[in-house]
Amino acid sequence: MRRNLPAAAAVAAFVLALSACGGGGETPAPAASVSDPSKVSGELTWWDTTRPESEGPTFQALIKEFQAKYPQVKVNYVNVPSDQAQNQFQTAAQAGTGAPDVIRSEVAWTSQFASLGYLQPLDGSRAVDKPEDFLPGPLSSTKFNGKTYAVPQVTDTLALIYNKRLLKEAGHEEPPKTIAELKQTALDVKAKTGVAGLALNVDSYFLLPFMYGEGGDLLDVANKKIVVNSPANVKAMETVSDLISSGAAPKPATTESYANAMTALKEGKAAMIYNGPWALSEIYQGKEFKDKANLGIAPVPAGSVKAAAPTGGWNLAIYAGSKNIPAAYEFVRFMTTVEAQAKIAKEISLLPTRTSAYANPDVEGNSDVAVFKPIMDTAVPRPWIPEGGQLFQPLLEGYQSLVGGKSGPADMLKKVDEQYRGIMKDWS
Amino acid sequence: MVSTRTRPRGERGPLASAGLHAGLLLAVAISLFPVVWLVLTSLKPRDSWLSAELQLFNDSSLDNYTRVLTATQFPQWLLNSVLTAGLTMVLGVFLAATTGYAVSRFRFPGHRSVMWLLLITQMFPVAILIVPLYNLMAGLGLLNQIPGLVIAYMTIAVPFCAWMMKSYFDTVPIEIDQAGMVDGLTPFGVFWRVVLPLARPGIAVTAFYCFMTAWGEVGYATVFMSQEDKRTLGVGLQQFIGQHWSDWGLMTASAVLIAIPAGAVFLLVQRHLITGLTAGATKS
Amino acid sequence: MAVSTGRSSGGPAAGESARGRSHRDYRPGRLRRSIATHWYAWAMVAPVLAVMLVLIGWPLIRGVYLSLTDATEANIGRTIGVNVIPSTYEFVGLDNYLQILTSSLFWDKLLWTVVWTAVCVGLHYGIGLGLAVMLNRRLRFRSVYRVLLILPWAVPAFVAAFIWRYLYNSDYGVINGFLKLAGIGGVGWLDDPTTAKIAVIAVNVWIGVPFMMVALLGGLQSIPAELYEAAEVDGAGPWQRFRAITLPGLRQVSGTVLLLGTIWTFNMFPIIFLVTRGGPGSETEILVTYAFREAFTGIRNYSGSAAWGVIILAMLIVLAVGYRRTLRSQGDPW
Repeated sequence: MRRNLPAAAAVAAFVLALSACGGGGETPAPAASVSDPSKVSGELTWWDTTRPESEGPTFQALIKEFQAKYPQVKVNYVNVPSDQAQNQFQTAAQAGTGAPDVIRSEVAWTSQFASLGYLQPLDGSRAVDKPEDFLPGPLSSTKFNGKTYAVPQVTDTLALIYNKRLLKEAGHEEPPKTIAELKQTALDVKAKTGVAGLALNVDSYFLLPFMYGEGGDLLDVANKKIVVNSPANVKAMETVSDLISSGAAPKPATTESYANAMTALKEGKAAMIYNGPWALSEIYQGKEFKDKANLGIAPVPAGSVKAAAPTGGWNLAIYAGSKNIPAAYEFVRFMTTVEAQAKIAKEISLLPTRTSAYANPDVEGNSDVAVFKPIMDTAVPRPWIPEGGQLFQPLLEGYQSLVGGKSGPADMLKKVDEQYRGIMKDWS
Repeated sequence: MVSTRTRPRGERGPLASAGLHAGLLLAVAISLFPVVWLVLTSLKPRDSWLSAELQLFNDSSLDNYTRVLTATQFPQWLLNSVLTAGLTMVLGVFLAATTGYAVSRFRFPGHRSVMWLLLITQMFPVAILIVPLYNLMAGLGLLNQIPGLVIAYMTIAVPFCAWMMKSYFDTVPIEIDQAGMVDGLTPFGVFWRVVLPLARPGIAVTAFYCFMTAWGEVGYATVFMSQEDKRTLGVGLQQFIGQHWSDWGLMTASAVLIAIPAGAVFLLVQRHLITGLTAGATKS
Repeated sequence: MAVSTGRSSGGPAAGESARGRSHRDYRPGRLRRSIATHWYAWAMVAPVLAVMLVLIGWPLIRGVYLSLTDATEANIGRTIGVNVIPSTYEFVGLDNYLQILTSSLFWDKLLWTVVWTAVCVGLHYGIGLGLAVMLNRRLRFRSVYRVLLILPWAVPAFVAAFIWRYLYNSDYGVINGFLKLAGIGGVGWLDDPTTAKIAVIAVNVWIGVPFMMVALLGGLQSIPAELYEAAEVDGAGPWQRFRAITLPGLRQVSGTVLLLGTIWTFNMFPIIFLVTRGGPGSETEILVTYAFREAFTGIRNYSGSAAWGVIILAMLIVLAVGYRRTLRSQGDPW
């Protein structure tokens, strides 16, 4: 097949290094368009990953505004389900045909796409406006090897979401602040009201707050160390185990776990779940929350070390092979302005990534966003490495076997650790 | 006339009949249950599919159907699917019949390799090797093209159908071909005018198979048809079910709507199945 | 593969090949004669072969090549806009194969894949044949039964997978709903390895039986009714008739559907992927879904996935050759 000669490869790498030294964004096209950005023209395809029905219209409206401002640019809106977008983008991007110009990339995908050369470096380009205004957590997810490859669009994290009425009936006016309180509250709910206290979702991402709470993590990126099998994490897994065995949380289903936990909360069959802002619109459709005031949102309960949850969210990235990079720059810039973020926050309660956006009256007026703002301060950025996406499956399998009683906490982490060593070969 | 001692063929004792019906009814119940549940769910409000109570009906309405037909791109997807599946069916039946006939009747050099090649294509785990296939389609300019997708479906449907058609042709007595040759028909003429009409049951099965392959396929369609206005039903439907949310109302309603054309094709094809059947019956 | 030139099969070709044979001694004209004799047969298969060779042949050749290298998504050279990725993958011989074949997971998955294939195909064929025989009788409501029994086929596989996942749901599923009504506790169908395996097999059987039934029904209808009448006159009972007429009459069709059914089930990606996602753990993962996940999560491992593909292909070819030998020893011609 096409095997470049080593010399050619070296030259290519050298050229790459040179262009890197020169600092990104010095491509002539955007420089020319700076004189009058509204004159850029062309056709753009954007892969959006939001829910087409409930969230899509807001983005479509933003596209209309963009096209009004840039009359010579046509944006093709394509909605790709979030669980397929990553795979499809990889397939299309490597072929050089069929990839979109702009993709809404999950925070964890960005470094992976960037490492594979699929994304356009954005430093100094028109796509990034006032980078210092972005929240540090989401912003860190856009960097790879010191360069910027995306612009944060929305952010999120996990919180404790609860049914105020059930907690009150169990004698708790306030949501639990620590894991110990969580267990007690859950047991009280079960004893006094007969429904489940806490519904767990068997998913790796939802395990992270427990690990962070004990001071654990999956990787130590700075030292290139795999730290998943640590005493802190063993303690965290014991905590989860204990929540189930003590009856604070009923034994969760491992398939459809998310949907079942959500349904339990919506129908008043469980008092508390861990979930993020994206779930709110669905929760409000539940019969327990016809009165929105019955829904409580609090930071995740603290472990013995701290209260912390993972940073999630979405970035906008530009395909390096795009034929319309200047127009794509303008589009990404437009979609991440304070105004655009405020509109998104106001209409569909997704959290802005710009610090200044939280001072916008539209954002302040949205109670869900307002509630999540302080919780975001406790969010922990995940290791933004290209292999990041591969870390979840081993952990999920471990979590499933823990819940199924097939392996104990220490056992399970040992297995996860082994699998991580297979993925991250040169890590210690 | 039913004699008391030996019953003519096709007659059974009442007990045997009852047993037969009971067996078929059980099978029908099992095969229908999920489908019935699908229909019932499609009539419920969008979120009651996952509810703690088991209910047959819950505020039944056609809301979901209205939403599917008006608020989504369902009509566009339907059109794409009909075109794709229709083309796949016509081309698939034709190619499968010619190939099957050639292999059934002629001992040409390589006829055995042909069957083997067809078989091997079916062993290929395409899910794993989708990337070279995508690159190939991209290179040929067939991405986001209905003909491109049809060609991809040919690789799934035709090998099986060719094998199937060969089996059917094998059961058509060779004397019939010979008679045709005596009447002065060319080999193609024999195939087209004489043998093909006789293989109607096989063609019916093949046609339905080709249609269903294209109709329900999602793997290729998802990867090859990324453009929104080129999506087929299978790809479009996946929008209704996400990782962290799902709209079962839309999903189930469109699934029911999808099954209707498939059923229609079946009914159409089934008439020919019956024709084949009665032809056999009148012969006796 | 064996190539039989001018072997008589009777029929119209018999006339043709008889002529062909009589001219066999004309050495110089043999190729031309062969073309003259067989061009229409080749013409009839050519379009199919062309499509197959391009669409399957190319990825296959590319796959075999990649499986001998250490190519991943990160080291295959390419230029995308301003980004240039140098090509640094190397030829590594059979390393990928060794790595797969020496992992205990491979053998675990192979065992389950074989069980899955055997049980699914066995049930497909057994139930399909039973229903086809029942439907091949004169029977009131026969066409109604037939339509209703074929209905699962009209439901696209991925929709069916979602329906079944919902039916199996441990807290809100319909099956557990009925169990609870009957006073039996619910079962975590997809949460336990054993029940999850039973569950996916049940889904695949539900989806696959209609096809088998229709194919076999088509085969049954091509068996002349006279044969049964003659047998009945000779005093053969129903079981004898079934064994002496029905089974041999179905041999052609059965041979095809069993072999292809085995191949398809072996590589049945969507059902497992959509119903259980391979879980709990990776217990229900068959070779092809396991390979897909190994190779396609994160940075794609092209060489590894290609090696998996070639191994699966090789196993199926061995199976098919063995199957063909068996059929042949029983006197089937192909």
